[in-house]
Amino acid sequence: MNEVVRELSYSQAIQEAMAIAMEADDRVFLMGEDIGVYGGAFQVTGDLVQRFGEDRVMDTPISELGGAGVAVGAALTGMRPIFEFQFSDFAALAMEQIVNQAAKMRYMLGGAVSVPLVMRFPAGSGTGAAAQHSQSLEAWFGHVPGLKVIQPSTPYDAKGMLLAAIEDPDPVMIFEHKLLYKMKGPVPEGHYIVPIGKAAIVREGTDLTIVASAIMVHKALEAAQELAKEGINVEVVDLRTVRPMDKDTIIASVKKTSKLMCVYEGVKTLGVGAEVSAMIAESEAFDYLDAPIVRLGGAETPIPYNPDLEKATVPQVPGIIQSARDLVKGVR
Amino acid sequence: MPVEVILPKVDMDMESGQISRWYAKEGDSITKGQLLFEIETDKAAMEVDAPASGILRNVTAEEGSIVPVGQAVGWIYAEDESYDAAIAPVENEVQATVPQQQLEVVSQDVPAKPTDVASASHENDGIRATPLARRIAREAGVDLASIAGSGPKGRVQKKDVELKTCVKAAAMPKASQTQASNGDMLKTAWLREGKDKSLAPVVLLHGFGADMNSWRPMLGGGSIDNPIFAVDLPGHGGSTCSIPGELEAIAEMVEQTIAAQHSGPLILVGHSFGGAIAALISGRGNLDVQALVLIAPAGLGPEINGSFLAGFVRARTEASLTAWMKQLVEDESLLTKPFVAATLQQAENHDLREAQRLISDRFFADGTQVFDIRLTLNRLSIPVRIIFGAADRIIPASHGAGLPGEIALHMFGQIGHMPQLERREAVMRILKDVSQSVK
Amino acid sequence: MASARTSNAKLKDDGSNLPFAFRHYTPDQLKEALRKMYLIRRFEEGAEESYTRGLIHGTMHLSIGQEASAVGISMPLAENDMITSTHRGHGHCIAKGADVAKMFAEFFGKETGYCKGRGGSMHIADVSKGNLGANGIVGGGIPIAVGAALSAKKQKNGKVVVSYFGDGANNEGAFHEALNMASVWKLPVVFVCENNGYGMSTSTARSTAVANVADRAVAYNMPGVIVDGNNLSDVAEASHNAVERARRGEGPTLVECKTYRHRGHSKSDRNRYRTKEEIEEWISNRDPIHLFEDQLKEFGFLDDTQIADLRDSVAKEIADAIEFAKDSPSPDLNNLTRDVYTD
Repeated sequence: MNEVVRELSYSQAIQEAMAIAMEADDRVFLMGEDIGVYGGAFQVTGDLVQRFGEDRVMDTPISELGGAGVAVGAALTGMRPIFEFQFSDFAALAMEQIVNQAAKMRYMLGGAVSVPLVMRFPAGSGTGAAAQHSQSLEAWFGHVPGLKVIQPSTPYDAKGMLLAAIEDPDPVMIFEHKLLYKMKGPVPEGHYIVPIGKAAIVREGTDLTIVASAIMVHKALEAAQELAKEGINVEVVDLRTVRPMDKDTIIASVKKTSKLMCVYEGVKTLGVGAEVSAMIAESEAFDYLDAPIVRLGGAETPIPYNPDLEKATVPQVPGIIQSARDLVKGVR
Repeated sequence: MPVEVILPKVDMDMESGQISRWYAKEGDSITKGQLLFEIETDKAAMEVDAPASGILRNVTAEEGSIVPVGQAVGWIYAEDESYDAAIAPVENEVQATVPQQQLEVVSQDVPAKPTDVASASHENDGIRATPLARRIAREAGVDLASIAGSGPKGRVQKKDVELKTCVKAAAMPKASQTQASNGDMLKTAWLREGKDKSLAPVVLLHGFGADMNSWRPMLGGGSIDNPIFAVDLPGHGGSTCSIPGELEAIAEMVEQTIAAQHSGPLILVGHSFGGAIAALISGRGNLDVQALVLIAPAGLGPEINGSFLAGFVRARTEASLTAWMKQLVEDESLLTKPFVAATLQQAENHDLREAQRLISDRFFADGTQVFDIRLTLNRLSIPVRIIFGAADRIIPASHGAGLPGEIALHMFGQIGHMPQLERREAVMRILKDVSQSVK
Repeated sequence: MASARTSNAKLKDDGSNLPFAFRHYTPDQLKEALRKMYLIRRFEEGAEESYTRGLIHGTMHLSIGQEASAVGISMPLAENDMITSTHRGHGHCIAKGADVAKMFAEFFGKETGYCKGRGGSMHIADVSKGNLGANGIVGGGIPIAVGAALSAKKQKNGKVVVSYFGDGANNEGAFHEALNMASVWKLPVVFVCENNGYGMSTSTARSTAVANVADRAVAYNMPGVIVDGNNLSDVAEASHNAVERARRGEGPTLVECKTYRHRGHSKSDRNRYRTKEEIEEWISNRDPIHLFEDQLKEFGFLDDTQIADLRDSVAKEIADAIEFAKDSPSPDLNNLTRDVYTD
């Protein structure tokens, strides 16, 4: 076959998913700050306002709490809003509506309603935006029953998982790592779904399982490639969904390799990797562990501005290689 | 009708309250909304107003008493309403009237004993080992304390246990297939789930120097509907290398292993040394053995091929092992490469070979079978079948003679010590007959 | 503001100078409004009694004294118009047509309740009647109402959304963000502030920089209307005008109903921040139900016998509802996590 696989960037893949959903379903509309003619803080909505008009690509005032609440109310009454935050950090302004309202509405009302809402959060460090514009807060939301939380790591997954999120009857929080927006990868045309709640084994191996999320998947893969030269075969699991977590895939992998390392950008303590580790320790995979579980997470500090400091705050490839080597060789 | 004055719930978590003060007393004239009494809760004092105007009567809760929420503490009668104390409405006796002082004593915290760190650590075996190493050691019946750990701070890892135990990594059974037995001593496996799980399972006990996998060729010779279950005897396959001194103790160990996996009727099948164990288990009567099939069983006479035993236990290479294994069968072509290789794998394992040498020395000392199962067989009242190859070079087929008439004897001409391999279709048919008779 | 018990104005024979509600609604509609006010009052009293007897788990916020606001606001609403409500929301729920038996069942935590025992007092909703739910967060329902109004505008279904909230909510950011957006987008929503004078214990004088919450409307370029929240007709008139404006696509209105709660904030309130005299004054002289009864009698719509009959029928309805709730089954523990997600 000579079929040329089309490549799109991560942000183009997201934009395409939104366009496909808006073409297919007139209940779908976008809300957010400067997503219209400006094209979004990271140019993800781009020229969608020209295609779909201001009624469906709505600029909101700088009102995260109110805007989130409007999105909740619209979702509650028959619409399918996609709400863009400029930075995931601004979620702190809207936590009331996300955590107390959207997540609980269906349960509190005994199943009488559902809240088909998508919230998009540009997340993560590496842009020199410092402490208030660089956080990875997915674990906050992963702690809330009623929310679904996803972290696609490739353009392919970004499009497929966003389409899944838009079609999902419950509120879905999608965390998009800012450094991934320009990353290119194969993306099929048209509609397809990558299911929420399924992790992916992106590299098979026998000596060590690395469960990574978002941009850390790529760093783990890079590390795995280096480690292979030393004869260490790393299995890399792309978590993809924080909640509901795909326990089966992770457990099966750890049973195979007997060693687990979690790599994630959010602050290490009480982060996503903490949950993965605890889940494994409670599971049948415990009796297959041949070394302590290792977590590589963000440092216990706000994200600093200085680029060297910023890099040192989150796991990097050399650190992953060193930790994996120590783990497999039984020196930690 | 008099109006009930209840102790109201005034706080979220409140189940009872203490009346700290009455602002009116029995017989007082009350106006609706007037302050009537005060309740003390954990958090605050709350004032309670009169729900109606009239005369306060029949006050059942004194100051200081603890009253459950919703219970009447008094009644307000209209000015002109008749009141007879004897027949006054009392919905519930005030039950929990406990003076405050007493309550405090009861609720005083008993200082908890400080946790004795040293004694707590006795619970632990004090050995640093990974969960995987612990599991492998547990399943193999190996004491972790006897293993030197190669990991950080002497942590015992999988590879350390594997060096020590009989269980080789390659032979590590899959979790789905193998169930840890009760004592975690003997390895067991369900070789066939069985078409009808309600049927009595067939339990297979292999012979000396073999393991549960030696049964697999036979199972290809036919099919029965019963589930089929196999055990590795001590000193064999994936089981412990510690060998009890008495044959009865081995039987007990196997018996417990079977009991941990299955309760209810079963059919016991044993080959050679395993046949003797099967007979003993049947005789002990602890398991519900419905039928017994013995293939070239040991324990029916003194003779046994001592040079085979000695040579087999000594053999360390494929060539030497094959030479001795030829003694087992009449048709050497049955000694397929995988069959020899599987046996060789055990031969290469030092601990296993040592354990088997011990069995050989203890139970077949100087080429003599030092135990007898005839007495046991004579007493059995279940169907028993014995299968021999007439040309058996390990245990003479003539040992099949002289058993009680109820015991069926199948004698295959020109067949050696392994009828289940050499005439597998015929042996499977016999097992099928037996299993159907058990229905 | 008409706060007198009865009107001293001379009635014209053709009724043309009667207060709004008596001109605008039929006698049956007015009688139904009174019945709903009784129903709210008796519901709250029944809830309070059940609570003090320990039959109800958790706390509750009673709206006794605020009945005219709940009922008056809902008078111009159609069944499929929507509301968002507050922690003090029983009255709004009943005014919008809820079944008191299912409300009590919810209170008692029963499977037959509006939320199947998962919500309780602070989350009672009756989506079938357009009630999107009470809310345990002060100001929580205001942006949601704006979102529902956005849906109505996008779906062009002509629905209007009423967002009830208390005076405390006017100092929440959500209030300001939501009013601003509703005005910018000219959404069919009516913001109803039931100003009962106190956000828990803190009076509006101590908490709010403007004299009236309705004064805030200027900042968001919408009408701000102040009414006597205990006068049913005044409330209904203000609501009527706001709802009509919303239906015409002219955008939101902020209505402030000045009212008073007879009971404490919640059941753990010891009323230390207001005097008995103040409470007594509102109960004796400004009770919304007495006021409406007097007007109905004065204007010849109802007599004492009819009023007594109405009261009896409501008392029976409440007693039956409590029995229904008591007799209803509790939720099955096995269904603990049902409806966390849509299956």
